[in-house]
Amino acid sequence: MLKYTIRRIIGMIPMLLLISFVVFLLAKAMPGDSLSGEIDPNNTDPQYIEEMRERLGYNDPIPVQYFRWVGGFFQGDFGTSTRYKVPVADLVAERLPNTIFLGVSSLVITYILAFAMGIYAGRKPYTLGDNLIGGLNYLGLAIPSFIAAVFAIYFFSFNLGWIPYSGSVDPTLQPGTFDYWLSRAHHVLMPAIVLGALATASYTQFLRNDIIENSRKDFVRTARAKGTPTSKIYNVHIMRNSIIPLVTFLGFDIATLISGAIITETIFTYPGIGQLFLSSVTNRDYPTLMVITMMLSALTLVGNLIADILYGVVDPRIRLD
Amino acid sequence: MKKKSLLLMLTLLLVLSAFLAACSSGDSADEPADTEPTEEGNTDDAEGDTEGDAGEAQSGGTLTYGVDAPPEGLFNWAFYGIATDADIIALFDEGLIEYDENLAPQPNLASWETEDNKTYTFTFEQGVMWHDGVELTVNDWVFALETIADPDYDGPRYANVQTIEGAPAYRAGEADSISGLNVIDDYTIEVTFDEARINNLVNVWAYPMNRAQFEGIPVAEMSASEQVRTKPVGLGPFKVDSITPGEAVIMTKFEDYWKGEPKLDGINVQVIDNTTTVGALGNGDIDMISLQPVNGPEVEELENVEIVTYPGLSYYYIGFKLGTFNAETNEIVEDKEKYADVNLRKAMAHAIDRQSWIDAFFFGYGSPVNGPVPSNHWIAADPEELATYEYDPAKAEELLAEAGYEDVNGDGFVEDPNGEEFVAKFSHYATGNPTFETRAQAIVQFWQEVGINAELEMAEVNLYYDMIEKDDPSIETFFGGWGTGADPDPTALWGSDQLWNYPRYKNEESDQLLADALDLEVVGDDQEARKDLYVQWQQMVAEDVPMIFIAELEEIVALNERVQGVEYDVSGSNSPHEWSIAQ
Repeated sequence: MLKYTIRRIIGMIPMLLLISFVVFLLAKAMPGDSLSGEIDPNNTDPQYIEEMRERLGYNDPIPVQYFRWVGGFFQGDFGTSTRYKVPVADLVAERLPNTIFLGVSSLVITYILAFAMGIYAGRKPYTLGDNLIGGLNYLGLAIPSFIAAVFAIYFFSFNLGWIPYSGSVDPTLQPGTFDYWLSRAHHVLMPAIVLGALATASYTQFLRNDIIENSRKDFVRTARAKGTPTSKIYNVHIMRNSIIPLVTFLGFDIATLISGAIITETIFTYPGIGQLFLSSVTNRDYPTLMVITMMLSALTLVGNLIADILYGVVDPRIRLD
Repeated sequence: MKKKSLLLMLTLLLVLSAFLAACSSGDSADEPADTEPTEEGNTDDAEGDTEGDAGEAQSGGTLTYGVDAPPEGLFNWAFYGIATDADIIALFDEGLIEYDENLAPQPNLASWETEDNKTYTFTFEQGVMWHDGVELTVNDWVFALETIADPDYDGPRYANVQTIEGAPAYRAGEADSISGLNVIDDYTIEVTFDEARINNLVNVWAYPMNRAQFEGIPVAEMSASEQVRTKPVGLGPFKVDSITPGEAVIMTKFEDYWKGEPKLDGINVQVIDNTTTVGALGNGDIDMISLQPVNGPEVEELENVEIVTYPGLSYYYIGFKLGTFNAETNEIVEDKEKYADVNLRKAMAHAIDRQSWIDAFFFGYGSPVNGPVPSNHWIAADPEELATYEYDPAKAEELLAEAGYEDVNGDGFVEDPNGEEFVAKFSHYATGNPTFETRAQAIVQFWQEVGINAELEMAEVNLYYDMIEKDDPSIETFFGGWGTGADPDPTALWGSDQLWNYPRYKNEESDQLLADALDLEVVGDDQEARKDLYVQWQQMVAEDVPMIFIAELEEIVALNERVQGVEYDVSGSNSPHEWSIAQ
């Protein structure tokens, strides 16, 4: 297993290099640069823009720019955001806790809903309840998150006044106090529900189908013949087999946790990575943009590795060598 | 395993496509940054009181001030980049000079005297305190100017400092200080400019920086420092308590404010998404916010909210590419033939129904503009003095015929005087805003209705300005917007050696008029004489139609009915220390 892990990690290096190359070229292929939005006769002049282009190295040949960037990356220098004028590492670090908090909350909601619904639907397939769950799930899958977010704000914030609709915390509270954390949980609740509830479909349906499939297998019939209680059959025998496909999702979830939700974060003005990513693209903030993309790519790769290793843990029949 | 690698591929694809999709989805802001006028000056109450301000205003209460775009967090005049940040800074900091309702400079923290427009003596108010309890002195201003002139300075303000004598030498590292700054005592300073100019005063950087706070911080690291980002210290009526980056700024009143204790207890700045603006106003969660025109009609229906409009300083136009700009020699040559005929340009101007276009796309929050200066600027010419191009399709067709554009082959569209097919290409920038394409299409249809075959091309906004700047052959007629500042000098946009003269309009008379209007020998101190020259210049530009002037917009602010004492004029709002809330 250790050997396998090391081999996989080494295998990631060329992959990441390739990704860095593509990300860099795509970023540079975007029209304009971080200064094109600054054309404003009251605020600046063409000389300044030209000087900044020179200083930021935009006039150098592309390979030079690429190696300067990659070189910095290897030395742990992720560059300075052209828009916020702070090191990208600080910028990401400032937003990461928000995004992870949102990601974990929404994942917890997804898991709770998916397991509850999936197990129910799997045990009682083709009943009214199963169809209802299926219908709800696909409805959730079909509703874009930005629509759901706007409606949720309208009903729960404006009409009912239950839940705040912007920010990640009540800014008047003292950080670290109990009220502060309560307020953070309060603020994250709605975006997390919107994100989490809409994502349940794939989990639920996978779980349901696997439970149905497994319940027809020989070992289940044997267990029944032995007189094992039904609940034990489902909760132990079938469950363990049925979560294997879900482990695949877990790998991707790790990247999702960090990538945040671009649209949802923007609508709830929740300052996380997703919002930062979107604004870095519109402002041609190359350093920020490239760091976030690289981070997400690396996490997707790592998430996959973790998923592969977990396969072995969940199902000893799968051998990693 | 096979299935998994497929999933992996899909995920990577998703990451990439999110990245691509984001490219096209633009900011939620309605307009590109270049149309934002900069309004840095505040004024004391100028026009009569707005309604609801009867009787004594009560003190106390906290006002919630909404902004619909996250600030970048550069909370210092010398470093900020976008209008949102500037709006927030204006609540807790202020400058030496302010502007009245005619955009004329007025003393604020300092008054000035000059005899020759080259050397100015500034006298600072005594006893003005920074929020940290240190008194403001001229050294704080010198510090600001030296910071901006420092070679490591990474903001865009050097243009406002370079006219001071010795600033270029300081920047090049040849001098230890700026020779044009002569500190006489803590409250008096003599500033010498490199030459006498009529606009030296409005042009110079007039915002001090707290020297004590920035002590020991190298200029290169200032924009990332907490003194700029999270713990800014200003001179204004409110002081910053805490900043939650990207979300909120909490301010409380500064009791030692030099103009008197503010009436409000504090201001909370809250960032919201513009999809929630109307609901937040209706609920009373937000007391005050700048609105985008599209939200106007909905907000007008709210009972607890009042809409205040005040004249803006930006205008929209459709430019004709008349020539090209040579970046080596900084010269413009009018070498494009297609729109060289002034009658063709006039016909295209008469074809557009500007009023109904504004009503449809800006919900009436604007009006047609007839020249390159918004009508509320003090140099603006009276529309009656200008050649105006009212909506008149018959006149447009007549002018086309006069210019030799006639429908020869009977396809319903005119051909050019040589009998070749004539297709007018119209370019407009695209962001995520879906109304841009429809409003551009409307212009194209106006032209088609008078028999000009027009085609629309939408270009991604960053690419768009790049193409215009480089005189890309595919840009023929283009939509754009400019803002005007307090200094009326339009040379940067109209001089024939200027990169931002996008139509590539070259006219020596125009250059001469613009130069004369700045020339002390010609106009002296006489603002009327200066205005006269600008009026002549506007007449010339309106006659030549290098661009069709479309619209000037109003600034729209929504105020909760409990908010009192807020007033606006063309230079922006009154000082926030006069704002109050009905209890």
